[in-house]
Amino acid sequence: MGLRTGIRMGLIAAIVTIFLILIGVHMLMGRLLQSWFRVPAHWPGVWLMVVLLGMWAGSRAVGQMKARSWGNALLAGASAGIIQGALVGAALYLLASITQAGVDLRTWLNQMSKESIGALTLGFAPLPAAGFIGGVLLVSALAGAAWRERRLRVRAARLARGERMISLREHLLEIPAISQVSNNPLSRRVLIGVFMVLLLIAPFFLGQYWNYNLGTVGIYVILGLGLNIVVGMAGLLDLGYVAFFAVGAYTMALLTAPQPHHIQMSFWLALPIGIVLAAVAGILLGIPVLRMRGDYLAIVTLGFGEIIRILSKSDVLTGFTGGPRGVRNVGHPVLFGKDIGNEFYFFYFILIGVILAIIITRRLEHSRVGRAWRAMREDEKVSQAMGIYTLKYKLMAFAMGAALAGLSGAIFASRNSFTGPEDFVLLVSINVLALVIVGGMGSIPGVILGAFVLKGLPEMLRELEDYRVLVFGALLVVMMIVRPQGLWPASRVQLERPRPELAEEVEAPAELAEGEVGS
Amino acid sequence: MSLGLLLRLGIGLLVLAFFAYRFYGVLVRGAYGAETWARLAISGLIIGSVYAVIALGYTLVYGILFMINFAHGEVMMIGAFAGYFVLEAFAASGFSARQPVLAIIITFLAGMTVSMLVGISLERIAYRPLRGAPRLVPLISAIGASIFLQNAAQLMFGSMRRTYSNPPALERNVGWVLEVAGKPVSITYTGVLTFAFSVVLMVGLYLLVQRTRLGRAMRAVAENKEAAALMGVDVDRVIANTFAISGVLAGAAGVMWGLHNGIIYHYVGFIPGLKAFTAAVLGGIGNIPGAMLGGIVLGIAESLTPAVLDMPFQLKDVLAFAVLVLVLIFRPTGILGEVLAEEKV
Repeated sequence: MGLRTGIRMGLIAAIVTIFLILIGVHMLMGRLLQSWFRVPAHWPGVWLMVVLLGMWAGSRAVGQMKARSWGNALLAGASAGIIQGALVGAALYLLASITQAGVDLRTWLNQMSKESIGALTLGFAPLPAAGFIGGVLLVSALAGAAWRERRLRVRAARLARGERMISLREHLLEIPAISQVSNNPLSRRVLIGVFMVLLLIAPFFLGQYWNYNLGTVGIYVILGLGLNIVVGMAGLLDLGYVAFFAVGAYTMALLTAPQPHHIQMSFWLALPIGIVLAAVAGILLGIPVLRMRGDYLAIVTLGFGEIIRILSKSDVLTGFTGGPRGVRNVGHPVLFGKDIGNEFYFFYFILIGVILAIIITRRLEHSRVGRAWRAMREDEKVSQAMGIYTLKYKLMAFAMGAALAGLSGAIFASRNSFTGPEDFVLLVSINVLALVIVGGMGSIPGVILGAFVLKGLPEMLRELEDYRVLVFGALLVVMMIVRPQGLWPASRVQLERPRPELAEEVEAPAELAEGEVGS
Repeated sequence: MSLGLLLRLGIGLLVLAFFAYRFYGVLVRGAYGAETWARLAISGLIIGSVYAVIALGYTLVYGILFMINFAHGEVMMIGAFAGYFVLEAFAASGFSARQPVLAIIITFLAGMTVSMLVGISLERIAYRPLRGAPRLVPLISAIGASIFLQNAAQLMFGSMRRTYSNPPALERNVGWVLEVAGKPVSITYTGVLTFAFSVVLMVGLYLLVQRTRLGRAMRAVAENKEAAALMGVDVDRVIANTFAISGVLAGAAGVMWGLHNGIIYHYVGFIPGLKAFTAAVLGGIGNIPGAMLGGIVLGIAESLTPAVLDMPFQLKDVLAFAVLVLVLIFRPTGILGEVLAEEKV
């Protein structure tokens, strides 16, 4: 029993370990520990990763066992450790002996430099090095197995005594002061107020770099709020959202830049034109495609996004859009005769845009239109039967979402003083969709949080460098498995799940309760 | 309704008129000789057969899980890399010069096996925990997996472009030469191999789905998961097998891509993946013959339309997507129609 789960887990853990070594995560861990905790060398991080992976194998093997006994647990841990250790050891032996023969592995495996392998062999010859890493993995697997077995036993004993597992949240709410503050409707406003004040004074203390990054987060918040209308509220999966962003950006660029059209309009005039044109593009695209069902809509919008990008890059439109080289010297906003085109002023400008977008989406959400969207999202046929002309509301959602994308695109182009086809790759659409979903579909605070997590956090984790996008991808998968409703789910989703603290109170009408929770 | 109908009619007439006008211009000018048309059609057919093989993987998974396996293109890319390393080793040891047939077979097997393993683990890690979740959830997970695989490949193999070292007997751009209108049109060996192997794979898949026990189970699960489970079909197992099959197809497509086009890198699966999904939708998603037809139609369309419309060839991706949009406007269920009814989704 323990043997089989152990062997299976050992195999999986070995593959994972070898994979992580091949993409160089051990060196990354070493560097991270060096820079975060001022560890003098990189080997502690490297070996921390090895030990953790061994412990993971042992503990997972024990966790998957059905029959619970110490003998079984040790058997599972030992078999997992031996398999993992043997396979990883063999791989290391192979890599180390090839490197020792003077072959540069980096021709084929980019991360397998001499230092990278040296961190694992610690300067030993290939064979003892393989034995050493195998031994370390075995010992850590045993330790992991013992730790997991003990924890499972403690938990089982606690359950047998009738103690209920309490979450941290419930623990905190038991403290009178905290529960009073959290129940008081004012506290929410105070919190938002403090946050606003912090945001207002932040640019004075942050440098250029962080003002710029905060501005980027803000642009993504606007984009996210727009896509939130389309995907979150109306339930239309749009994978080509970047197209409307591009329409806004190119409108701003072509109307205000000296090249290629020599129009050089004022920023303040070009901004509304960009928004309107993006909305019109949304309607024009929407009319033919919105009759399609979910997945077709996704792929057609995706195709449309690519079409816009390739067209803007192609020779056909070079005269009109500047081709692959893009448009330079995009106009800046000028206020009272002063150019306010630097990161500092743009931060406030974007903040105003964000606040406007929040107000608009909030008003829409709680209006007749918002209710129609939600009905359509839940069941299109039933909503049609209820007298909702779905095509009209779908078009409205598309136009609203596109208008917000146009706004952020116009700001984006002006702030960068440049726009070109490479600003509008598919990854932008995917990033925006990801932040909407990670934050919580249909939830406005969720979108803001999502933008901070997905666009802001990676900027803080500069040490991750090349691994940022990798982590981003893995995060999406993990997020969907662990918390598919998002970090800050929409209030409606919460209401549908009975919560113990709500059940005791008098049932409020759904619409009213939602208004309170969502504010 | 009437507004939509009028609009569709208008768009249709406009597109037709545009097509006719441009094509007429091309013909009158005699911009391309017969040999160019033949060359374009052949290359479209070859690339289309690769699309078809990838599209089959999309369609199989979609037919059963109703999800777009966004990471399918990356599975193909990894298969291409596996084949590359095997061929590289064979070339270095001189094996591929001595035993070209065996070398190619082993290369294909390696690519298919690795892709199959990736496909299975993908399902196990990223999709199986999400069974029964709302439809957007697995899609996002698939997008995440796609980003992850792409970047893992970039980290592992570096971002430089690598050239497949074909066996000397199967050099790229070498082949039989046909004479069309007095000018030579070459049919490359790699192209013939690609096309022939694609056809073999398609026929094999068709037989597998229609004639075997696993195929019957797959069709049953596609029809109705609960009922299939009640009839004793192990649904999880069938789904895992489906991913294995689609991985095998993707791996084969990856190696074909490498052998025929020569260059691979970490991003190589993305555009073919998109195109193949387009092809699957074009033929009617969930429909196996539809995916084959869609792939070949898309391949030929993207190869011929730039010439027909007298546009630069760098617009072929735009035209491919435009074809998709047009087909979906006029026939939203694809050329051959979906196999699934809307109610089941």
